[in-house]
Amino acid sequence: MASATRPATVRERVADSDRSVGRLLLLSVGALFWSWLVVSWVNRWLGGVLVPVGQPLLPPGAVEATVAAVPGLAAYAADAAFVVDLTPELARGTWLTVVITAVSLVFGFFIAVPLAVSRVYGRFSAWLSLAYTELLRGTPLLAQLFVLYYGLNLASYVPGAFSGVFVRDVVWVAILGFTLNGAAYQAEYIRGALESVEEGQITAGRAIGLSKLETIYHVVLPQGLRYAIPSWTNEFVYLIKYSSLAAFITVPELYYRADQVASETFRYTLIFVVTGVTYLALVLTASKLMERVEERVAIPGLGVEREE
Amino acid sequence: MSDDDFLRVTDVSKWYGDEQVLNEVSFEMNRGDVTVLIGPSGSGKSTMLRCVNRLAEAQEGSIRLDGEEVLSPDLDVNALRREVGMVFQGFNLFAHLTAVGNVALGPRRVLGLSEAEARDRAEAQLERVGLGEQFDSYPAELSGGQQQRVGIARALAMQPKLMLFDEPTSALDPELIGEVLEVMHGLVDEGMTMLVVTHEMSFAREVADEIVFLDDGHVIERGPPEQLFENPEEDRTGRFLERIASHD
Ligand SMILES: Nc1ncnc2c1ncn2[C@@H]1O[C@H](COP(=O)(O)OP(=O)(O)OP(=O)(O)O)[C@@H](O)[C@H]1O
Ligand SMILES: [Mg+2]
Repeated sequence: MASATRPATVRERVADSDRSVGRLLLLSVGALFWSWLVVSWVNRWLGGVLVPVGQPLLPPGAVEATVAAVPGLAAYAADAAFVVDLTPELARGTWLTVVITAVSLVFGFFIAVPLAVSRVYGRFSAWLSLAYTELLRGTPLLAQLFVLYYGLNLASYVPGAFSGVFVRDVVWVAILGFTLNGAAYQAEYIRGALESVEEGQITAGRAIGLSKLETIYHVVLPQGLRYAIPSWTNEFVYLIKYSSLAAFITVPELYYRADQVASETFRYTLIFVVTGVTYLALVLTASKLMERVEERVAIPGLGVEREE
Repeated sequence: MSDDDFLRVTDVSKWYGDEQVLNEVSFEMNRGDVTVLIGPSGSGKSTMLRCVNRLAEAQEGSIRLDGEEVLSPDLDVNALRREVGMVFQGFNLFAHLTAVGNVALGPRRVLGLSEAEARDRAEAQLERVGLGEQFDSYPAELSGGQQQRVGIARALAMQPKLMLFDEPTSALDPELIGEVLEVMHGLVDEGMTMLVVTHEMSFAREVADEIVFLDDGHVIERGPPEQLFENPEEDRTGRFLERIASHD
């Protein structure tokens, strides 16, 4: 809670303004990043209404001239132009990275909840759930993707309704792989949170005549899922980064496109620094977003007591 | 005892593993009676209560409630629990729901009332326990006494024919005990049938029709409060009551 009292000492006041300057900076960088992405995507979907498809939003030549005009930055002008030239490819790859992550995360969640519930409250199903999570968490994700793509050749079985939604049908294979794998990790986090719901909550639910499943649905899950948010956010962040493994089964997401340009231009360092920063921006967005969600759904009087 | 006993517990025994926690416990209540279970820690009071609404399973004996065998394997336990309210020592309020949400959940999800009907009923029950101002407060925002009154309202909202209280005031600061006992007094006056575990001896003395003294899973002695408090037949009863009295 922000208190209404003014910070007493100068040091505190400086610290206070630092924090808000930092926040403001982060917010504006974030806004810039997402505007660039969204405008690039919309431009492509609408067939190049702002700039021709494949062209950067800002002309590289103009950027180069501007940077060159700044004293001391002249040496970097060419690099800046190169990065600007790169942005259409980055934006395009980021789109798939975002979609694959978001879709897999949501699908995975709906598998993870029953897995976690079975694990905590089931008998036979607890063993099934355990076997599933151990298998998927105990083997390399890349190996799982290879089994789905090369081994089972699933890309050629994508149902008609789904086929053609993405640039390549293999995107569905990646989504399937990340969904199945992510579900196992999400289930572990949710299981831990369910176990932290007090036994008395279940007793009380049963005592008013709710069945075991009804008690889980109406009492345990609403609490457990709230408690799971901080650790679940980890899985969100991991998935953003691990989604780069999709490049190895030819999904043209962010990493794949960066790698392609790099192997054509040999500007590995510059390209992967820029790519890394893009991933970082996605990760920061995700964790800030989940922080907001956590605050929004916090139970009054309980929970999120962040230090200031 | 006669067949019209409302609750008849006969020779109920229960084991946890090898440990016998209830040993041929018997007592009975008529409709509108208040029976108070007393006994030292670990004597099986909570277990006895929980056998009545099948939160614990008695292995032997019989519990008949309003003519129906509670221990029958064919019994629909959720239907039983609809009719038997329970109040817990630790309140056990649903932490994510407001006071109204706590009380309305049973009527809504178990009795199938509409959202609006369930809310109306919840508000009426909260008024009944003196919480007309706290409808939208969350448990963590309420005092212990208020939480326990929500707990009572939650049980009452199911319109139970029997109420079980397991040490409803033991977790409360002394100054908050009164408000909960007052609500319980009100229920007694309304003729609610109540089976109560408590260490509040003045409450027991005032409202109980019968006191059952449990020790080590056995019913040591039972009778009307005057008899138990003034002339206990068993030494153990007297010593227990003295010990309780010296704590007050
Ligand atoms: N779920 C359980 N599993 C194993 N043993 C249990 C369980 N519940 C209770 N017991 C044991 O059964 C005995 C009776 O417990 P119970 O809770 O009924 O006593 P109580 O009279 O309510 O005591 P208190 O006054 O401390 O609440 C105790 O020895 C206790 O350790
Ligand atoms: Mg007890």
